[in-house]
Amino acid sequence: MIAKRRGTGGLADREPARLAEPSDAREAAALLRAAADAGDAVVVQGGGTLQAAANLPTRYDLALATRRLDAVHAYDPRDLTIGAGAGMTLDALARTLAEHDQFIPFDAPLVARATIGGTLAAGWAGPRRATYGRPRDLVIGASAALVDGTVASSGGMVVKNVTGYDLGKLYVGSHGTLGALVRVNLKVLTAPAARRLALAPFEPEVRERVVAHAYGRAVEPVAALLIDAALAPRHLADGDGRPLLVALFEGSEALVDRALREFRSALGAAGVAETRVLDDRIAAEAFQTIVDGYLASRERSVTLLARGLPSEASARAELARSIAPEGSTIDTIADLATGDVIARLSWRPHHEAALPAAVAALRGALGRAHRIAGDPQAWAVIDAWGETPAALATMLALKAQFDPRSTLAPGRFFDGR
Amino acid sequence: MSPFAARLLAALGPDVVRTDPEDLRVFGFDAFTENTLPDAALIPRDAREVAIAVRIAAECGAPIVPRGAGTGLCGGAVPARGGLVISFVRMNRILELDVRNRRARVQPGLINLELSKAVAGYGVFYAPDPSSQKISTIGGNVGTNAGGPHCLSYGTTTNHVLGVSYVDGEGEVRRTSVDDPGYDLTGVLVGSEGTLGVVTEIDVRLLRLPEAVRVCVAAFGDVESASEAVSAIIGAGIVPTALEIMDATITHAVEAHYHAGYPHDAGAVLLVEIAGMPDDVAAGEAAISAIARQHGALSWRAARDAAERDALWAARKGAAGAIGRIAPNYYIQDACVPRTRLPDVMHAIDAISREYRLPVGNVFHAGDGNLHPLLMYDRRIPRDVDAVHDAGIAILRTCIEMGGTISGEHGIGFEKRETLGLVFSPDDLAAMGRVRNVFDRRGTFNPDKIFPTGAICGEVTAATALSA
Repeated sequence: MIAKRRGTGGLADREPARLAEPSDAREAAALLRAAADAGDAVVVQGGGTLQAAANLPTRYDLALATRRLDAVHAYDPRDLTIGAGAGMTLDALARTLAEHDQFIPFDAPLVARATIGGTLAAGWAGPRRATYGRPRDLVIGASAALVDGTVASSGGMVVKNVTGYDLGKLYVGSHGTLGALVRVNLKVLTAPAARRLALAPFEPEVRERVVAHAYGRAVEPVAALLIDAALAPRHLADGDGRPLLVALFEGSEALVDRALREFRSALGAAGVAETRVLDDRIAAEAFQTIVDGYLASRERSVTLLARGLPSEASARAELARSIAPEGSTIDTIADLATGDVIARLSWRPHHEAALPAAVAALRGALGRAHRIAGDPQAWAVIDAWGETPAALATMLALKAQFDPRSTLAPGRFFDGR
Repeated sequence: MSPFAARLLAALGPDVVRTDPEDLRVFGFDAFTENTLPDAALIPRDAREVAIAVRIAAECGAPIVPRGAGTGLCGGAVPARGGLVISFVRMNRILELDVRNRRARVQPGLINLELSKAVAGYGVFYAPDPSSQKISTIGGNVGTNAGGPHCLSYGTTTNHVLGVSYVDGEGEVRRTSVDDPGYDLTGVLVGSEGTLGVVTEIDVRLLRLPEAVRVCVAAFGDVESASEAVSAIIGAGIVPTALEIMDATITHAVEAHYHAGYPHDAGAVLLVEIAGMPDDVAAGEAAISAIARQHGALSWRAARDAAERDALWAARKGAAGAIGRIAPNYYIQDACVPRTRLPDVMHAIDAISREYRLPVGNVFHAGDGNLHPLLMYDRRIPRDVDAVHDAGIAILRTCIEMGGTISGEHGIGFEKRETLGLVFSPDDLAAMGRVRNVFDRRGTFNPDKIFPTGAICGEVTAATALSA
């Protein structure tokens, strides 16, 4: 149960003394209880893909990995619901659902590693959410192991439910600070009959016209992104440094055909001549590569994600790019459907000292911006959370109720709590 | 007048605070049967007045019950221990409308349908549409995470609330947003039935109106075969915007009142709405009607125009009211099962109806597995009253055994609190209790609702404070 391996579960330079891989919810709860009693600090580990989205733990004794909590607990495709272990990877979930032409649009990066529980706990919400809803909107039930040794469930396996509090939402965005998600029940969707990904490099001068025409037409793409060349996957960009408009269309063949026709003609009117179109499986893979790119971290870079209004996404991205201080560059993705802006700040060697000020300026331009990836060297000097939310006092009171001895991820939450 | 009511009156004046028993009578009940007068009613104009009242109530140990339009069926708005009822009839405006970003900020007293009507000219709408939408408020809908027929493809209220402002137990106004980092407090507040705070503003998501909408009616021999058709439609992965079933009893009552054009001779009717691009709507109708026919549909008809479509919907949404024609009283149950279990649960409800000798009518959101059996009875006959209670519990137990739950969209309120333990373990309830204790450590907000007696520590505190 408890393997005394090192080299797993590490966060930047922090290595836990022990790694535990419980195989069921009760075992997870017992581990948490024992850790709490012993005064140990525990970090819950999913796939580790979004660990940069919270601060470094101040204490770290035990990594509680959900890897073995990966079973499908309940899945009758005719119900359009599934119940699965929180440690199941998104890739495994997608493969299970694909056998029945179903899918769950979590749109998280690195699906071979990312888990259901980790994606929810990180509060991830991807580019297709304007159409399909956020991951939290697909959760119909959840169970979490708590530090008092209990397993608490809420919701169920039905798609409409007003029976007690919807505690599944509480763990969304919790980064493992309240409990360890052990099981999640989800709504599933029928896979679209057709899927096309349109890729259109454009001249920076026509950006505003592209924005005006790319989204908000009669038939909208399910995702629409403006990607700076440096953040575009190499095989999708044309290599000449122009930004790329990416639009994903999903639906019936008739809908997708019409949407693409209208999209191309609108882009033509905006001065964008060439649109490359990828079909179905290739389109899905390319889209996943683009989302993977959100976390494309390299040495001396940090990536922030800021939510905002769709109408302002492009302008906020441009503003962010324009404030890159001496010795650094900022590359962005503007999400026209959701309002998200992803900004990657990269700096040249020996410019580290300017980093905190550069991030503060970037946060000033973007509004509240959360760190989602970055060079581990930068973790210690850049707060993951940025500005604190208005309801922070309530969140901290919840933390104190659920985890009175700060067993779970001490230091990972706001203000190093 | 209680000392609490007197303090409120002194602080906020007689226009905002009502204490006359005649005035209070309308705040003593909702669509459930309980009737308890509050000590005072607050009719605030803004969040500041709510906050002042909450602070005074907290100091006096008086409970607070926020109230929408009082259409709730589970006693959620009944002031079970007296105290203060807050009515939002004056806080009923759209504060901001942002069509480009498809969102609006509204006050809790805004009537659900008024929002969609006000924004329709901009090509957008607010999706949750409980049958009560002509009178129920967005604030009340937030409290119960209200559903409605169109939740099948659009999701329930919680999927359309982007943030709220609320007054907490200390009388502070706080704001949440689904875009905030950290815990999703918005999602916890929606559906909490007024037990965690008093919501004073709501940010809602608006959707674009579909290009085409088609409403069709299929006739079936009985409600079981209609249910099989619905299970098969969902099972085939087809999710139209609505799939509603009415049995013969309900259809007759509805037609007698509305003359909407439902088939008279059917054992059950299936109402189907398909929305989207015109080509998709046509293809959807072809696919769904084919499955319906395979499962015994006797007829299939599409509404010819918007007027006919609206008439079918008006009748469907007025179904509960139309029952008044055939029974002196009815009790509407709300439960939800996985969609594959629909035919089984309809058989079981039929058996329960016979066992307890109570006629039952079924009108429900079949596509979601959300049942609404109406048990018809006469309140003046004691046997009937007992039988309704027992049959209601039997239906809930059946739904739980089938993997379902005891409320799909009406909430737990006062009515079902003692049955919550059928669904959740003491550990589950303890976790919910922790949340309750954080938002409302004095147990001020809507005590005696949702949780079984004694399950939540805060309630004990409140009871002690009141009796002291």
